[in-house]
Amino acid sequence: MGFKQTLSKGLKGFGRVQVSHGAVITYTALLLILFIAFTIRVLPIRWEIPAGTLGLNEFDPYYQYTATNYMVQHGLLSPYWPTHWINTQQFYPAGIDMGMSLPSLPMTAAALFNIISALGVSIDVMSFCALLAPVLGTLAVFIIYFLGKDMGGKNVGLLAALVLALSPSVIQRSSLGFFDTETVGVIALLMFIFLFLRAIEPTRSLRSMMLYSLGAAGALAYFSGGWGAAYFLIGLAVLFVLTLVLIKRYSQRLLISYSITFGLGLFIATMVPFLSPSYLTTGVVLPVAGVFVILCIAEVLRAQISARTKTIVAAAFLVVLVAGVAAIAGFGDISNIAAKFGSVIDPFERASLPIIESVAEHRITAWGSIYYELGIGVLFFLLGLYFALKNPTTRNVFLVIFGMTTLYFAGSMVRLLVLLAPAFALLAAIGVMSLLKPFYTLLRESGVRATVKSKRGLKRISREYSAIVVVIVFLLLMSNYAFMPQSGGQPRLYNSVYGPITISASSLPIGGQYLQEPIPPWRDMLSYTRNNLQSTSVVCSWWDYGDWLGMLGNVTTLCDNTTSNTTQIENVAYAMMVNETQSAKMLKHYDVQYMLVFVTLQVEVTSDGSISGVSFAGYGDEGKWYWMARISGEAESRFLTDDTFGTSWMNDDYRWTDETAFGNTTSDSSGNQQFVYNDMGLNSTVYKLMSATEQQWAAQYGLTVSDQKAEAPEYFNQVYIAGLDIDAYTAAYLYGGLVPLVALYEFDWDAYNAATNSTATP
Amino acid sequence: MWPKVPDQHKPGKPLVPWGLGVTYVLFATVYLFLVYFLKVDSAANGVSASLTLAVCILFGGFMGMLDDWIDLKWRYKAFIPLIAALPLMYYAIANSETVRTSISLPFIGLIQFGDFYYFLIIPLMVMIVTNAINMLGGLNGLETLCPAIVLIGLTTLAPASAQLLMIGPLVFWLILSYFNLQGKLFVGNTGSFAIGLTVTAFAVVTDLKSSMLISILPYIFNSSFILLSVFFVRKKANVIFDGKRLISEHRRSIVTLLTYRRPLTERQVVAAIAVIVAVFTVLGVLYQFL
Repeated sequence: MGFKQTLSKGLKGFGRVQVSHGAVITYTALLLILFIAFTIRVLPIRWEIPAGTLGLNEFDPYYQYTATNYMVQHGLLSPYWPTHWINTQQFYPAGIDMGMSLPSLPMTAAALFNIISALGVSIDVMSFCALLAPVLGTLAVFIIYFLGKDMGGKNVGLLAALVLALSPSVIQRSSLGFFDTETVGVIALLMFIFLFLRAIEPTRSLRSMMLYSLGAAGALAYFSGGWGAAYFLIGLAVLFVLTLVLIKRYSQRLLISYSITFGLGLFIATMVPFLSPSYLTTGVVLPVAGVFVILCIAEVLRAQISARTKTIVAAAFLVVLVAGVAAIAGFGDISNIAAKFGSVIDPFERASLPIIESVAEHRITAWGSIYYELGIGVLFFLLGLYFALKNPTTRNVFLVIFGMTTLYFAGSMVRLLVLLAPAFALLAAIGVMSLLKPFYTLLRESGVRATVKSKRGLKRISREYSAIVVVIVFLLLMSNYAFMPQSGGQPRLYNSVYGPITISASSLPIGGQYLQEPIPPWRDMLSYTRNNLQSTSVVCSWWDYGDWLGMLGNVTTLCDNTTSNTTQIENVAYAMMVNETQSAKMLKHYDVQYMLVFVTLQVEVTSDGSISGVSFAGYGDEGKWYWMARISGEAESRFLTDDTFGTSWMNDDYRWTDETAFGNTTSDSSGNQQFVYNDMGLNSTVYKLMSATEQQWAAQYGLTVSDQKAEAPEYFNQVYIAGLDIDAYTAAYLYGGLVPLVALYEFDWDAYNAATNSTATP
Repeated sequence: MWPKVPDQHKPGKPLVPWGLGVTYVLFATVYLFLVYFLKVDSAANGVSASLTLAVCILFGGFMGMLDDWIDLKWRYKAFIPLIAALPLMYYAIANSETVRTSISLPFIGLIQFGDFYYFLIIPLMVMIVTNAINMLGGLNGLETLCPAIVLIGLTTLAPASAQLLMIGPLVFWLILSYFNLQGKLFVGNTGSFAIGLTVTAFAVVTDLKSSMLISILPYIFNSSFILLSVFFVRKKANVIFDGKRLISEHRRSIVTLLTYRRPLTERQVVAAIAVIVAVFTVLGVLYQFL
């Protein structure tokens, strides 16, 4: 048939497109789910509209934004080639090597931004990045529909899509402004699973298998270059393939597909500077080669050769495998994976790593968090596992391994609940659909009666009774998504996403329909630094605020969430925890001119509605200084021995390993626990600055301070405190009694020099 | 509409509608949802008591339906209720100021469990009570009347706000009990598991576990009897119906104990067991005032 005929037939057929009723319902439902997924994820926009621009959530997304912005301005490869871009405005003075950043997310964003800019759409890069997160989150929901469809049909696909669309952890990490690695990570994870499982399907043609394998390789490379959790996917795939071999499901197709996927995928991944060829010898990636050898052995064993030859060849392969591993280990080339990833496998290892444990999302997941995430829906997850095990097809074997491993890792680290979510969605969907299938069939087809086994001697159940089963499952799902007991009857998404992004909430944990406007102090402070300080002015603050100060406040910072230089974070923690004189030595070392502290206060309201006093609330540095003490305490031995400046940073009379050196926890008469600072605590730089800020706000409104008061700082002069204009009644009635204060202090080098007879200047 | 099964202890074995416990599940769920929507129950510390109860009852009904459908093996049936312990554990932890982690028992005194109460005692209570209530049945009225007596005792003791949670479901269950006693319906495993979880969940939410444990002692006794017989004698409890009365040749459950070489009508057996449960429930109620 010629082209003309084909075109003619196509055009004629276009007018007679026939879509089944079922297809219309399916795609309408899918569109509705996608609409819901996107709408939920952009809920925080309500608080961004008054600001006039869309901001990014939390802290890490600003790092991704920096790379994206640089790529937009200088080209997609600019941070990596021809030379690495060193951003000296962060982690001053050495800066951050942005060439060691993972490229998938910023490259995707920059490429898409260039495309829509070329199409004439006018939007700033940050707003685009903020919006891209919900778009990618919705795309993940779209992909899981196809994956679920492969696993158990359209119904499973639709239900899995809905479950993922409503998953609190995924919503949180793909909501407006959450421009971070997970957004592309979940997409790559789902794409890899979808394509790889299709590639190894025995019914596909060779050409189709090759295409799917190439696609899976691309997804693997994209994941590896986008999120550190690629280690998990690699380990999962290797475990899956090994399991297939062990349960005698080996096929030549598996060998070919595996070789193409991992060979090409990992080859591309090694092109990423951060990964480099040494990625192949990490403890997690090396088993890829081991399983490849096992697949080769399996291929040899199925060949029509004598048993003796098989034995010799298999033994030879095993010797090569063992010798290879031993040789690589002997040469010391098996590199350990980063501590954070290793500690996921062994969560107790994190107890010795305060720099990781200090981040809330890296902590071990409390069972309550898992229940809060899954609710009573865990029942369907377990049913899904049961039905998958009962029918162990290749896909179901994968699903069981996927579900069990992600459950373990999600239990190990809060952040990895996002990995569990797709597995949960698929298994819960399979659980619900497999359970309802007989009842659903009974409802649809008259004359069919489901048989049951019962002690009562019942043989069949009626259509009406089947309907009740469906209703009960529906009610269970409803109580799991719409009216959850554990969130006071509110849908979980309210708590997950219905609130302003972190900076618009000024880092306060409040949101919901009663918060009408963004909370201004943090934006005010960043506006102040942007307009009144130089970009070269060095501002010392705790790492959480480094990204905001550097990228939005346009000043130079010492540390941020990138944690690329842990020694420097320890030093900043030290400068915060020591007294002013000692702190000055560290500040001089880094040319610091300003120090910034963030304090949150709790207004105390009496039963008659009057304001009685104020105390620290715990959401600012007053709740984070424990980690400053622990992180600097981790470096105690270094601070004791390092005498770079003629004297060590710590000595036998002035040393600590954690917060207990600064005071102790006691119970008051009501049994409430409170921390009582000793002299060392009261004289620490961070406490002095926090206390001064608190006292200034309390004095302005004539309120009593309930906390211990520190003496006024000797060498720090107040420059600007954002939030002083929030009065006690505004705080009590609009912000749940919380007052956020961001305080900027300038170090008075003249006063310090005069007092210490030195000539130090930054 | 309803599936029917023969009533084994009636002459001629008439067919009786079976599985009507599901109506209790649906009624209780709708009632508790209404309590939530009408804001009668305020979510204490962010966790709703009415919805927690609703989820537990729903789960109980769901599990009962599974049992009716695929006849769950005992090893699964024993542990599946643990899932229903999750909402209760979450509720108890969120309300740790009002839900005590100790249990006071007669002759033993106060036992302080600390965090073990959340992670060990609540799951154990859910598992034991639910299965124990499920195991005492098989006679008209037995599986409905006795749990109703226990629930009446607990509801009497509960504070007014919690009484409101249980009034509706209890009245509905009593109606089912009436018809069940008449031999006009069976609640099935759906009803049995749902009411078992209702008793446990209500006791945890209202912090009346001591009274609940005393009230259900006859159930515990019955289950222990059955399980010990199965494990050691390898024989199940069985009662013979001679056309008018029940009689048994062994003593392997509370029913066979009462009918051991002593023929009794079905109604007499149910009345005797109900009286025993009532006595223990009264003891449980009185213990709360000691």
